[in-house]
Amino acid sequence: MDISISSPLTGTAIGLAQVPDPVFAGSMVGPGAAVDPERAPQVAVAPIAGRLVKLKPHAFVVQSEDGRGVLVHLGIDTVNLDGAGFELVAAEGDQLRAGQPIVTWNPADVQARGLSPVSPVIALDAETAAIEAIVAGAVAAGDELFHWR
Amino acid sequence: MPQRTVTVASKIGLHARPAAVFVNKAKELPVPVTLAKDGGAPVNAKSLLAIMTLDVRGGERVTLAAAEGQGAAAAVDELADLLETDFDG
Repeated sequence: MDISISSPLTGTAIGLAQVPDPVFAGSMVGPGAAVDPERAPQVAVAPIAGRLVKLKPHAFVVQSEDGRGVLVHLGIDTVNLDGAGFELVAAEGDQLRAGQPIVTWNPADVQARGLSPVSPVIALDAETAAIEAIVAGAVAAGDELFHWR
Repeated sequence: MPQRTVTVASKIGLHARPAAVFVNKAKELPVPVTLAKDGGAPVNAKSLLAIMTLDVRGGERVTLAAAEGQGAAAAVDELADLLETDFDG
């Protein structure tokens, strides 16, 4: 089944290769896309419908009913912020609709702390060939970002 | 069944980047391998979704186990050595 992965954030969709982290940029975490978020407070939303199987302040994984997991990582090296500036509005284990709010944060604050707010959106355990129609350019949270066959 | 229990050296645990390094190494191995937290159910070490959901923290004890087969003991050792290194440097 083809599923549509929507952008968790408002900003500019960029290719994974442009993520300033070699592990994400090299698709080692998985294929997908990234969003360079608008530098204003915003809420990261669920990229697919499913269960919020893992929730950290700076990253989360939503798993679809058919078992596919999508990782959203808010910024690079943001694990080092220990959750400062991230406010959880969903809870681990929640059943979510696509587009439902999960975490509020301010990419401008992350940047002010010397970190990149660029946020990878990754199809976990997917083959690169299974990802298509990757969008580039301006996106709003909830807009389609790529397809996962 | 070859298995080994080790302490995870990566300070941030098996989160996105270290988890990816671990799973990519596991995928290269010729036998099925699982990872379990103390007293927890084993999960597929070759699935990033499974490993990220397991949520192993730095300093936590985990057990690697491989199915019987050629290279199983070496596979466990290779992954155990990786976990005992703080490879997210």
